[in-house]
Amino acid sequence: MGRQVCVASAGFSEHASKRSDVNMPELVNEAIVDCLKRVPSLDIKDIDAFVNGNMPAFEGSNIPELWMTDWMGARNKPLMRVTTGGTTGGSVAIAGYYSVAAGLPGVDNVLAIAFEQQSQGDTSVGLASVAYGEISVMNSLGIPYDQLTLLLSGGAAIGIASYQATNYMRKSKITEEDLARVVVQNRHNAAKTWWAHLKMPDLTIEEVLDTPYISYPLRYGMVCPASDGACAMLFTTEEKAKDICDIPVFVNGVGSIANETALIGYGGSGSGQLDLSEQLGAQKTSEIAFNQAGIHFPRKEIDYAEVYSPFPNQELMWVEKLGLFEENTATKMYETGVTALNGELPINCSGGVNSTNAIGASALERPAVAALQIMGKASNQVPKTVHTSLGHGWGGYVNLVTMMVMADEPVRKY
Amino acid sequence: MSKRTLRKSMGYIKKEYPRTRTIPASWYLSSYKFKFNITHMKPFLDKLKQKKLVGLQCSSCNRIYFPPRQICGKCLVKPDRWIDLRETGRVASFTVTYLKDPETGEVLERPIVCAQLDGADTSYPAQLDPDIEFKDTYIGMPIKVHWAENIKGGLMDIEYYDSIEDSAKDLQPKEE
Ligand SMILES: [Zn+2]
Repeated sequence: MGRQVCVASAGFSEHASKRSDVNMPELVNEAIVDCLKRVPSLDIKDIDAFVNGNMPAFEGSNIPELWMTDWMGARNKPLMRVTTGGTTGGSVAIAGYYSVAAGLPGVDNVLAIAFEQQSQGDTSVGLASVAYGEISVMNSLGIPYDQLTLLLSGGAAIGIASYQATNYMRKSKITEEDLARVVVQNRHNAAKTWWAHLKMPDLTIEEVLDTPYISYPLRYGMVCPASDGACAMLFTTEEKAKDICDIPVFVNGVGSIANETALIGYGGSGSGQLDLSEQLGAQKTSEIAFNQAGIHFPRKEIDYAEVYSPFPNQELMWVEKLGLFEENTATKMYETGVTALNGELPINCSGGVNSTNAIGASALERPAVAALQIMGKASNQVPKTVHTSLGHGWGGYVNLVTMMVMADEPVRKY
Repeated sequence: MSKRTLRKSMGYIKKEYPRTRTIPASWYLSSYKFKFNITHMKPFLDKLKQKKLVGLQCSSCNRIYFPPRQICGKCLVKPDRWIDLRETGRVASFTVTYLKDPETGEVLERPIVCAQLDGADTSYPAQLDPDIEFKDTYIGMPIKVHWAENIKGGLMDIEYYDSIEDSAKDLQPKEE
């Protein structure tokens, strides 16, 4: 059994579509400075090890973890890079957790950093590089490239999301208005978060429904932006956390599960996931993480959740699949305000990925915000006391789900 | 409407940042060699040439893969049983793409579907009859293979899927 791990602090850089005033190391530095600001007794010299990650090939520059070493304060210290596509941040957080839990001598304070400066590079090339191999195989099996682009224009992240949306909408019989309602809640929350990107304090459902379709049923006003930004999270041991911060956040469960890939599949062989909104991977991840955390009734025991939802239909889907609400009831919860800032189970009060998406950092920002909500230090703090929270991530080859369950006390051992 | 005006109309509060020195550069990915064994595809492609459809079945869990798959992820077993499949199937999921017609500049709405053949346990992205409007597409819609004119023994031999009549009736609950 590993050591009990705690989160002592988390920090963010400002997010925007073009952070033209900084370069990548400077952006990362902003997040680290903000993270250390919350733990005044700790200096960068006290950090024992680093975990770092971003999307491969997005900025057109490789091994960033090495050439920005000085900007992270990581010189002559153990450093590791983790990159798993959209879940990079979630995997970085879990790697930070493992580093502390392992109990290696001299490794107590671990800084987990994830970042993305999308305005620097060509995101579409980075995304396509994930699937180039499979695309070449399909081409060799007799599908010309022009047909492939047609088939796969529904195959990027938004394409997968719109398939999920049609499946989900059929099952739960929701309308586009229900999707817009989720967006409005997120953008309003983002307006109250200092580091968020799409701040739209006066957005209405009608305005969202007024924008054109990108891919049915998702409209332009519903999709996430492409942001520049960074996030840092400090993991440490139980003893040290009690020294350096007022309310240590205990990490009680983590999960990271890859399900079958959607759509194209391995070597163009399609997918066994007939209903794309079923998400067996997410169900399994939450089962594992909740079991570790000793949570048996997530619907009652979880006080706050940050889920990875670039698109509104996913937010509805994840909160159900992670066990926070009954199947097909999420829409009602948004309608009645259960998920709002002052609701019973607030969701994505930072505005979520729907309002801020620096891809590599997004899945780290979820547990980071969830931890800050327990500490009472979040930018858009919920009024009620948060005892347990969760941060979730989705990505990889659209098949990986990560999750971190946190609480203000260690897991009860029976 | 451009992206900027769209966001403005949604009340987006934008913060402007000064610009630091920016140096343009480019990074070309060189060509590479992707290894992929397609021996398991041969019988499938040969059958396609005869306008016949076959799926590959895992002898451990009995799932039928169409198109064939090299390994069953559920069992870590190489599927090895060829099963004849019918030409009919159903829409497992769908979305719509918006493409500009290169000649007229008109934006076309084309439904793209995940097609699951009857008997198969997997679905794959495919195209529908271009005459079908996306508003008429639904999940569970019965479809049938439309063969291409020139059969070449490739995946494009199935040019697209025709919609066929749905024999299912909407049953009304019995009135008391
Ligand atoms: Zn099997």
